[in-house]
Amino acid sequence: MRKANTGQVRIIEAFLAVIIVFSAFAISGNLPSNHNVTRKEDLASIGLNALMHLGSDGFLGKCIDNAEWSSIREALSLLLPSGVAFNLTIYDSAMRQINTENIANSGLNSQKTTFVEYICVSQNATFRCYILHLHLAVMA
Amino acid sequence: MPTASIDTFIACSLMVLLVLTAMANTSKLLYPYVDGNGMASVTEKYREISKYILLNPGTPANWGENAETVPENFGLAKDDLGTIFDLDVDKVSRLNSENAYALSYAQAFSALGMPEVSFKLEIKPIFDIAINLTATYPSADETTYKFRITTEKNGAPIAAELNYYVIAKEHVAAGFTTAENGEIQLNITISNSVEGPALLVAFARAKSNAKIVSFEAHPFAHNSQEPQYKNAFLRLDPLKNSLSVVFLNQEISVLEAYAFTPDYHAVLKPTLNGNNSVTYAIPQFVSASPTILVVSGLNTTTFFIEWTAYPQLPLQFGADFQNRDTLSNVFAYTYIVTINSALYSCTVWLGGPKS
Repeated sequence: MRKANTGQVRIIEAFLAVIIVFSAFAISGNLPSNHNVTRKEDLASIGLNALMHLGSDGFLGKCIDNAEWSSIREALSLLLPSGVAFNLTIYDSAMRQINTENIANSGLNSQKTTFVEYICVSQNATFRCYILHLHLAVMA
Repeated sequence: MPTASIDTFIACSLMVLLVLTAMANTSKLLYPYVDGNGMASVTEKYREISKYILLNPGTPANWGENAETVPENFGLAKDDLGTIFDLDVDKVSRLNSENAYALSYAQAFSALGMPEVSFKLEIKPIFDIAINLTATYPSADETTYKFRITTEKNGAPIAAELNYYVIAKEHVAAGFTTAENGEIQLNITISNSVEGPALLVAFARAKSNAKIVSFEAHPFAHNSQEPQYKNAFLRLDPLKNSLSVVFLNQEISVLEAYAFTPDYHAVLKPTLNGNNSVTYAIPQFVSASPTILVVSGLNTTTFFIEWTAYPQLPLQFGADFQNRDTLSNVFAYTYIVTINSALYSCTVWLGGPKS
């Protein structure tokens, strides 16, 4: 009787193990996919597209020369899709930050930020080169 | 049950749980890269197609200018390739179904040359402007109309500079104001000797950047009945800096044609007179803005006024992706594009069979 019971317990153990292992396969196969990489590329493309259009006619260079940070912030807010948070930092050629005001629409709390670098030049007769670092994230 | 069996059972269960946890964690870590890479490559493929449509002028490169030309390869970029994402005003206009020379989706689909890819395009101003007539104050000699004009993007007000024109029979008046908080109450006074209906054309330019422009036209009754719907009397087809005006019945005669931008306006001169059509040359203004074309005329003796934009925006063109979630993978890409130096938002939807 004792031998028979031992065999039953082993069979139950085996069944439980099989059920658990197959459940693990089933659950893990249905885990939601994460397209974080793609979203970052989309954001980077959108950000670069916006900076490029603002810089193409010298608007960015002129605003930086005149320290018109709010104009840049408003223009970026308009050109970027709603639901995208941004933070722009502007450096001179020696990588010293020159924007004295925060050029952002909200705090970048998300960990899924992406980064775009854009270079533009001044419209003044004195040559100046500016390096723009734009951080973007999808708002939660 | 013997103690040894219980021990074995607990040990095996723990081992299975351990293995299970490890598998689940490994799977969770690797799944995005295993499946995501496949999805990323599809996304990347569609992104490149969307860019191809906007960066490639198509073949022939000037297919937009020639009303009868159907492109062999579909692309919307200007043929001089000055700056990227700079679209051709005529190619864009030929996507609007209001234009007599509009491409059909079947023609564009064939010209894209990708039988497994359906697409849809939407091009529109970056922010919206809305005009509402809120009150009318008639008096003996003149009537004052009160309009509420709002400028917003997704509900957020946009500070904008507003250039406007009021057009009626033998009457054109211009004005300028500022909508600091995305809203303005505008009073317009028209003499009662002027015959209507009248048309209020408004351009809103973002204060931060004058290339970000939106526009709207609002017809309203003045010494007249309520204006009829758009294209009731004339069909207006702008193409290649030329406006073709086709009369929709035999009783119609044209009085005046105008072109408006925020900074300039002009009376158009006819270049060709037909039995039931007139062609006008559209001047090339330097404003970074669409041009609003207004034509007034008489239907027997009743005055009317019609308008269109050049480029003919906003527009939606292409496939209907209403059942996109169940039938196919659909990806949307939004770009900022330039048309005649003004900035617009362009969204490209691309869909293909679910892989």
